[in-house]
Amino acid sequence: MARFYDLTVTDIHKTIRDAVVVTLKPENGAASAFAFTQGQYLTFRREFDGEELRRSYSICAGRDDGLLQVGIKRIDGGAFSTWANQDLRVGDRLQAMAPMGAFWAPGPDGTAQQYLGFAGGSGITPVLSIMRTALAREPGSRFTLVYANRGVSSIMFREQLEDLKNLYMGRLNVIHVLEADAQEIDLFTGMVTEEKCGQLFAGWIDIANVDMAYICGPEPMMLGIAAALRAHGLDDSQIRFELFASAQPGRLKRRAATTGTASAANRTSAAVTLDGSTRSFAMDKTQSLLDAALENALDVPFACKAGVCSTCRCRVLEGEVEMAANHALEDYEVAKGYVLSCQSYPLTDNLVVDYDQ
Amino acid sequence: MQDMTIDSYLQAGGVLTSPANVPPRYRAELMKLMATFVDSSLAGAAGFADIINDGPGIRERAAAARIVLEKTGNAERVLRIMGEFGADTARYANQHPWTARLDRNADIGATRSDHDMRLAVFNYPLTGWTDAVVMNLLMGRAVSAQLADMVRLSYQPLAAAFRTIAPVELGHADLAATGLARIINEGGADNAQAAATYWWPRVAASFGTGRPDREAALRAMGLRHSAGAKLRQTWEQTAAAELSALGLAQPRTRP
Repeated sequence: MARFYDLTVTDIHKTIRDAVVVTLKPENGAASAFAFTQGQYLTFRREFDGEELRRSYSICAGRDDGLLQVGIKRIDGGAFSTWANQDLRVGDRLQAMAPMGAFWAPGPDGTAQQYLGFAGGSGITPVLSIMRTALAREPGSRFTLVYANRGVSSIMFREQLEDLKNLYMGRLNVIHVLEADAQEIDLFTGMVTEEKCGQLFAGWIDIANVDMAYICGPEPMMLGIAAALRAHGLDDSQIRFELFASAQPGRLKRRAATTGTASAANRTSAAVTLDGSTRSFAMDKTQSLLDAALENALDVPFACKAGVCSTCRCRVLEGEVEMAANHALEDYEVAKGYVLSCQSYPLTDNLVVDYDQ
Repeated sequence: MQDMTIDSYLQAGGVLTSPANVPPRYRAELMKLMATFVDSSLAGAAGFADIINDGPGIRERAAAARIVLEKTGNAERVLRIMGEFGADTARYANQHPWTARLDRNADIGATRSDHDMRLAVFNYPLTGWTDAVVMNLLMGRAVSAQLADMVRLSYQPLAAAFRTIAPVELGHADLAATGLARIINEGGADNAQAAATYWWPRVAASFGTGRPDREAALRAMGLRHSAGAKLRQTWEQTAAAELSALGLAQPRTRP
């Protein structure tokens, strides 16, 4: 089960107008829980208007930097990122889970000598962590970074990248590709597409000798780059992805108010939505929602049937159920109306549930 | 940058990387897939554990023990990913009697039991050393055929886990091939043929019933690439060639 730890903000500074770099110190002896692998992320939780939000942000520090540091770019309408950019101060406490994620992987022979990184916007954070770690730990390794941004003013960590280039003279190459700002070389203007990658591989990047490639950015950019890498001979084990934070599902709608009435009647009429279509049926209150749905020929998901694995999770939109056991859902999910259907028995005479939410 | 929905991203071959960015239906199918692997591995290891002492020599017993150890480790690797989605991993690993088996002649086709997701083939009991070696060879080759598809699936942490697991599973099938060659050298061909005849259709059923709507849904999510029937064909060819090289006939898919 997820466990959250307290962290204190020890430093916060802007890297561009709408992105902050936050340095954190684990409290209460939790430092060992925050030993991270390069490229991992932290998941934070905080309540906004009585609703718990969880957001993940990548660690931008390298493993040997002795720092726990994340980059948070403000997203329009994003409650957490706006708060972090405007209101978060040194000394504040945050809550986060131990680092997670598996962006980084060792190269084919245990290490890699030639790295190629692609970052779009704030996708730089986990790539930076991998880059810093590789350059510090592997004196023979080289790293080429292709970094896509709208313009010069939106380049996160621009100065740090310059410093790293000086520190690791000749081992780090950074190619800035800017969508809106013209550059001396035409090739470095525009978006990083499959075609653009092909052109970069033709003259600027020695693709034939790349051991590992790391891509973090918006979905279309990642698809284009991956296609170009495959076309130039990299196999799937050499291409690592980290999906951009914007792909996180948006804010959940609040749980519908309980509208159902409970009566002594032993039957419930249930409406179950799965894969976009809804089916209604009557069921016994002594039967689990999952079994009732299966009996009515709905191909609803399940695995353990013991309230342990959470495969059968669905959302109650109307009415109420009682869970006999719950070893998998957390309080904040339950508060939003999520239930384990294998453990759920109707309490109300009407029930509306959705497996698609 | 243009916007793209997760669905169209997956359709185009995109990869998801953490529980935070998987849509609900994808989550459910991914969890089912992981539960199937974990339950099959735990049930397979538990069944094989009982057979270790039947090994004819110290090498065979060591090989069998190694298979039990490594299959349990493979299960743990995938269960850890289920844990990142909220599954209670400690409880999960102990909630089923993984050694439980049905009757040898039970006719369950490809259906699962009520309370765990192990592939149907792992519900049948092993009857002795030769039976276990043949089952392990046929199922090992089947798992390798399926893993060749699963290393490409769209949830990167799981694809990476399967890439680590694939050579281990291949090693188990190779150990079984060595064991079977010895059995046949020592005059056990008839028993081996009987075991192959018993296990062949049951292993074949583990490639699924191939419902086109399900396969299409999984393909759209990037959780499957090749059709089950095609993977089964690949398995049939390699497994039949291997049996034939040892002087055994290819059994019929329908018993």
